[in-house]
Amino acid sequence: MQTSFTPEQLRDPDIAESNRILRTCVHCGMCTATCPTFLLLGDELDSPRGRIYLIKDMLESGRPATEEVVRHVDRCLSCLSCMTTCPSGVNYMHLVDHARTYIEDTYARPWPDRAMRRLLAFLLPSVWRFRVALIGASLARPLARLIPGRSATAERLRAMLRLAPAHVPGPSAMERPGVFRAQGPRKGRVALLVGCAQQVLAPSINEATIRLFTRMGYDVVVRREQGCCGALTHHMGMRAAAMRAARANILAWHDEITREGLDAILINASGCGTTVKDYGHMFRQEPEAAAAAAVSALALDVTEALWRFGYRPTREPPGLTVAYHSACSLQHGQKVTAEPVALLRRAGFAVATPKDAHLCCGSAGTYNILQPVIAGRLRARKLAALEALKPDLIAAGNIGCLTQLSGGAVPTVHTIELLDWMAGGPQPAAGGAARGA
Amino acid sequence: MIRQPEPKPEVLSRRDEIVAALRALVPPHPLSGESVIADPLRLKPYETDGLSAYRQPPLAVVLPSTTDEVASVLRFCHANGVRVVPRGAGTSLSGGALPMADSVVIGLMRMNRILEVDFDNRLAVVEAGVTNIGITRAVEERGFFYAPDPSSQLACMIGGNVMMNSGGAHCLKYGVTANNLLGLTFVTIEGEVLRLGGAHLDAAGYDWLGLVTGSEGQLGVVTEVTVRILRGPEGARAMLAAFGSVEAAGRAVDAIIGSGIIPVALEFMDRPCIHACEAFAHAGYPLDAEAMLIIEVEGSVAEQDELLARIRDICAPLNPTSMKIAESAEQSAAIWKGRKGAFGAIGRISPDYLCMDGTIPTSELPGVLTRIGEMSRRYGLAVANVFHAGDGNLHPLIMFDANDPDSLRRAEAFGAEILKLCVEVGGCLTGEHGVGVEKRDLMGVQFTARELDQQRAIKSAFDPGWLLNPSKVFPLAQAAG
Amino acid sequence: MSAPLAPAEEAGVAAAVAEAFAANAPLAVEGAGTKRAMLRPVQAARTLSTRALAGITLYRPKELVIAARAGTPLAEVEAALAAEGQMLIAEPPSAAPWGGGAATLGGVVAANLSGPRRISGGAMRDHVLGIRFVNGRGEVLRSGGRVLKNVTGLDLCKLLAGSHGTLGVLTEITLKVLPRPETAATLVIRVADAAAGVRALSAGLGSPFGVSGAAVLPDAAEGPLALLRIEDFASFVAYRIGRLRDLLLPFGESRIADAAETDALWAAIRDGAPLAAGPEEALWRASVKPTDGPRVLAALREAGLRGYLDWGGGLVWIAGPATAAAHAAVTAAASPGSFTLLRAPDALRAAVPVIPEEPPPLAALSRRVKAALDPKGILNPGRMRAGL
Repeated sequence: MQTSFTPEQLRDPDIAESNRILRTCVHCGMCTATCPTFLLLGDELDSPRGRIYLIKDMLESGRPATEEVVRHVDRCLSCLSCMTTCPSGVNYMHLVDHARTYIEDTYARPWPDRAMRRLLAFLLPSVWRFRVALIGASLARPLARLIPGRSATAERLRAMLRLAPAHVPGPSAMERPGVFRAQGPRKGRVALLVGCAQQVLAPSINEATIRLFTRMGYDVVVRREQGCCGALTHHMGMRAAAMRAARANILAWHDEITREGLDAILINASGCGTTVKDYGHMFRQEPEAAAAAAVSALALDVTEALWRFGYRPTREPPGLTVAYHSACSLQHGQKVTAEPVALLRRAGFAVATPKDAHLCCGSAGTYNILQPVIAGRLRARKLAALEALKPDLIAAGNIGCLTQLSGGAVPTVHTIELLDWMAGGPQPAAGGAARGA
Repeated sequence: MIRQPEPKPEVLSRRDEIVAALRALVPPHPLSGESVIADPLRLKPYETDGLSAYRQPPLAVVLPSTTDEVASVLRFCHANGVRVVPRGAGTSLSGGALPMADSVVIGLMRMNRILEVDFDNRLAVVEAGVTNIGITRAVEERGFFYAPDPSSQLACMIGGNVMMNSGGAHCLKYGVTANNLLGLTFVTIEGEVLRLGGAHLDAAGYDWLGLVTGSEGQLGVVTEVTVRILRGPEGARAMLAAFGSVEAAGRAVDAIIGSGIIPVALEFMDRPCIHACEAFAHAGYPLDAEAMLIIEVEGSVAEQDELLARIRDICAPLNPTSMKIAESAEQSAAIWKGRKGAFGAIGRISPDYLCMDGTIPTSELPGVLTRIGEMSRRYGLAVANVFHAGDGNLHPLIMFDANDPDSLRRAEAFGAEILKLCVEVGGCLTGEHGVGVEKRDLMGVQFTARELDQQRAIKSAFDPGWLLNPSKVFPLAQAAG
Repeated sequence: MSAPLAPAEEAGVAAAVAEAFAANAPLAVEGAGTKRAMLRPVQAARTLSTRALAGITLYRPKELVIAARAGTPLAEVEAALAAEGQMLIAEPPSAAPWGGGAATLGGVVAANLSGPRRISGGAMRDHVLGIRFVNGRGEVLRSGGRVLKNVTGLDLCKLLAGSHGTLGVLTEITLKVLPRPETAATLVIRVADAAAGVRALSAGLGSPFGVSGAAVLPDAAEGPLALLRIEDFASFVAYRIGRLRDLLLPFGESRIADAAETDALWAAIRDGAPLAAGPEEALWRASVKPTDGPRVLAALREAGLRGYLDWGGGLVWIAGPATAAAHAAVTAAASPGSFTLLRAPDALRAAVPVIPEEPPPLAALSRRVKAALDPKGILNPGRMRAGL
């Protein structure tokens, strides 16, 4: 597609990168077909091709972002379904990331919006702040209905409270920094991103991961310095905060790589996985470029690692049907589609996949809080498609999706918890619920 | 840049009034909060379609959700002399949805409901904004499908398919859109809602379905479509046959058709196209071949085996460099993924392309491809060839760089020369993409002035004020005002 | 009436029409005139026939294309195709319903007449790749071409196919053709009644076995029959007809008719022969939603008419007394589908709408399109509708 950047503009490496991406797009329109917001809103402006056009115009003009452009870029879930569809290989992810940073740098959001974003950026990436906030929110859950008004802020507050769990689990002993030693003969050494929000919402996911990999003969390293992967702030265009979080992880893991070596960096929240795998690109112009690239090269979704390391179940098949929900970050962001299904089947589950599996559930990081109405529609659609499979359980590889899809008729569970269970771990709470039914 | 008729000053000057009237006619969408777009910044993404070399933002975009809303918008535009450009997914490769500065774009993408599926009568009633593949998805659980399958089928919408009479890879056996329609809800420029055809075949009287199909938005706006759905075969399998020369592949096409076998699809790709598509689809295309055929057959496994064996025997004397039969549904799907993504995949090797769409008698294939190769050298522009070999529908993809104005100019001239060649050897300008704005000025190569006048008279019978999809199909110089 | 004009060249046709245009003198347009008893009688001083405009002009079997001048007898085209193992896809009826004669290719296309293979292969009009014709001003024009895929400009081929010579005089037609299947067989099922028969047809057409003919003969000597035809390579036909028979067992006992019987059966169905209509009787064809076929048959029986179903139930062949009352019964029963009065004495044909009337906005379009092609209304005036 034609672009019209000036030579001066193209000296900015970010602009040059976006120009390259835009030039790859041939405007064929295939991406519109698989975009969840285009499907719901029926407006080219709420499709990838429309956003690419708006972004191109914004960047070419060099003027501050306007409310109109921001509205449409904000509605993008960053589910990256468009990237799976695109025959031309347009890197929409890097383009929209650039646009979000550009918006954050040049556009003054109305204060309630700004405040909400700051609040999320402050709370979510911090384990203890999020836990405290969540306990507060869980107590306030019954009040959601009492929040008056139809303003966007009111909708968002209600959405936040609805997403808060009724019960906030306590901190897990298993997530403390340190090395969890392999059981039996040692086959290798892996690092685990224990993450931020997930630790608070569902510590059982990290517990299952550590149990399963140590049982399979891997030392699992949890570094004290690592924290949030940076995705949450990255997707809100808060570049500095995202880079800060990512840098801490890169340095910690790089240190581990250079000292004792790592076979993989495990990620069990696929939203984080997409970002960690992109560290190499994020830091391409930073002093840590080489370290970041090394970290990205080692990053694996837990299911990728299990497939590679030769996962074997030890229990008898449980006779349960699992509806597998493919998180967008996993299927579109990382193109990991076969392994989770194959592993669940190997573990003895009957696995079904829903109609329109490529569509996002509406979770998308903080999207379900910032765009609650669209997210709600997508949730309802996804739940209907999943429940139509008449499953005992819904499994997914991303905490965001699990939270978004909870509260429906079918219990939700992380894939790793099911795999751990069938390989000798404890029965997940959701598994019991399904069986008890 | 393509020449456009002069916008009407009296329409441009009433812009705000027109936008206000449209807002009153079409209520805001419950989720997006709007149905009429009028600010210049947000009109830009509507300035073009799948042919992005041509661009022109419209006066406004209106996004109706019902046939009644479409009718009211058309009634208003008719009463006020406002030009109208209907738009579906905006995937036209001929600029079929290119706006004019004084035109209102009617986007039909919100009309995306499946209204009825009737397996006993083998039909489905859908709104114009349902995607082509969306119809098949809605009926596939009982083994049915909607046959025409343009490469953009994932995105393109049935309303646009009707207007362009879209074809696809499988129309060698199943026909194009016109052959798979039963009925239309059709809104005239006066805002009259007409039901053409219905649940039955071949209504007596003038063949309105046949005339409207492929009329490129010149006659009215389609809002609902009744399509025939077909029960799929027991199975289908694709094979690849690769050849050391384009001529050998052409001879293979002739030999297969001449044998009495009509494969359900018979597709051709040349070397540059094979490489670009393989990079996207990882289908195992033979990278050492000069030309490749994708041949698909249908039936039971035994039938597939028999047909593929016959085809292999037919190809063998032509010294194929390799032949590969898909061993699973996944392999067949991968083979097709490469083909269906061919146009977009060119985006990996060139920033821009023009896709030609002429059809030629299949016996002319080798000669025409040789001459296209000569033109490519003369114009200094690379070309990748992918096409429906069974029916002679060529898709040369001319690669150029839109940031270089001379490159675009040469690409346009190259394209025009290819199309003239198609007509010269007994073919036509467009097999399935439509004339649009792109080939408008070449219509005189294929038709006499009288023939064009006759077509214009029929257009005038539907749209006396020439408000519908202006500046398309008919050469500009003589278009009635 | 003076002797028909029968020019041997296209230029002669153009000259004849141009002269009629100048003189404002209507022309009755026909090929061999076999279907004069179809639709409405035409009031015209002269007849313009294309019968002398004959001969195949291009035939490229490997390109699946044949072209012939409009007056070429259908039989001649079919014979040329048969010699190369090919066929007309739409299996058009012969002139038998009108008492026989050598129907021309132009006449069959102008009437858009299709036979049993309509349901799988498409209508006559679907295979018209290109036409040459003379419009009502006497201008020689072309639409389409000789290639299999063509969307260049408005599709006048389809508009003229089925317009019965009211929009232009066809002079040459290019058609898509296909290889003739190696063999064919028919599954003949004894069904309880027409409704059960159509259910069997729906099940067969909803199967993956490629049914290319699907008819119900409610008044056959053995009782109501459902017939489903398969055409393909011999080994495929054997397999598919067997699978189809198994699938349709619940609908009644069945037998398989071989290729020779199949040809005879479907030629009869194609030509309306099962009606055994007397020369004094009228004939109609109605096109309806397939599952409406049995209801239409029942309503016709009430009115003293008889019929059978083709096209999976969607085409109703009807015979009965040539009366206004019978015609009214057909009109009512066919709604919301379509009907055509195929054959009747002049008096009835002149008195009733021989095809369904159009709602006013569509009727206005019909008039405007007619005027665009035939501004003085000199081509077959009144043949399809009074005043058009």
